[in-house]
Amino acid sequence: MRLKKKVKTRGVVLAIVFLVLGFMVAYSFRVTQGEKSNQPITDRQWEQNLRLRDELNEQKERNRDLQKELNEKQEMVRDYESQLADEAQVYFNLAEDAEKYRMFLGKVKVKGEGVKVTLSDGEYNPDEPNINNYLVHEHHVYKVITELYISGAAAVAINGHRLTHNSYILCDGPVITVDGQQYPAPFEITAIGDPKVLSSALNITGGVKDQLVNDQIIFSLQEENKIVMDPVNVKK
Amino acid sequence: MWLPLMGLIIGVIIGLLTDIRIPAEYSNYLSIAILAALDTLFGGIRAQLQNIYDEKVFVSGFFFNILLAASLAFLGVHLGVDLYLAAVFAFGVRLFQNIAVIRRILLTKWTSSGEK
Repeated sequence: MRLKKKVKTRGVVLAIVFLVLGFMVAYSFRVTQGEKSNQPITDRQWEQNLRLRDELNEQKERNRDLQKELNEKQEMVRDYESQLADEAQVYFNLAEDAEKYRMFLGKVKVKGEGVKVTLSDGEYNPDEPNINNYLVHEHHVYKVITELYISGAAAVAINGHRLTHNSYILCDGPVITVDGQQYPAPFEITAIGDPKVLSSALNITGGVKDQLVNDQIIFSLQEENKIVMDPVNVKK
Repeated sequence: MWLPLMGLIIGVIIGLLTDIRIPAEYSNYLSIAILAALDTLFGGIRAQLQNIYDEKVFVSGFFFNILLAASLAFLGVHLGVDLYLAAVFAFGVRLFQNIAVIRRILLTKWTSSGEK
């Protein structure tokens, strides 16, 4: 009985000893195993990390390059835009100029303030043997037109017929031919420009008006607020 | 004889199922403790074979050696001296000696039983 008990006690004690030993060995084994199994993964991860980092760096560098390129391109686009703006300005100016020149050339209808000069033949004078002495001749018209142009008239018309750079005026007996169209007296010469300047230019002492009046021509000058002139090519 | 075997198996199972993670620097202490435990175990086996086995000496030696080895390693780490090397050396030498003695005893027993 005592022997059996002793054997049992010994067994229990040995069991505890072996339990501790087994636990320690297994636990150590597990820990070491975990480290070992962790090691390859971290190794692979490290490699992967390295690769990814390299890739990231590459991408960053590429991004930087692309960013630089983008900036350059944007700069170029801005240059183009400013160039375009300049060109647009130039075109705008050109269009304005073209419009202005078109007006000068009589290609479009123009309107503005100006003066109207009416030249009429003088009263029949039985004392005067030559009828030509009191008729309006083309040189009278020339004088008026020239004076008007000199004074800064932008457009001149005779009896509503717009004059251009190549207009011609002929004295054709009692009528005057302007560009092939005949107009009888009285002649209405309209001019667009500053009315004050134009009228004072015509009214200078010893000027056009005096000369014409001297030639027995009835000269009347009227300042107009609005004169409309049709384009040259439109026939009335 | 089945009780110690069962203890071993249960211990192994508990050890494998334990999910406590210990820091890497403490695994050294565990290794030293295991070395001490193995040393004591083989010492016990040798004593049994030499018929000088004492249960009290064995059990107290088992636990005391484990604790001593672990605390020696711990002290070594904290003093900056690799004291665990001393434990490894001492236990390793004794382990080999014990195993050699066991081998000789077993050989002698085998030879004598073969002669009979």
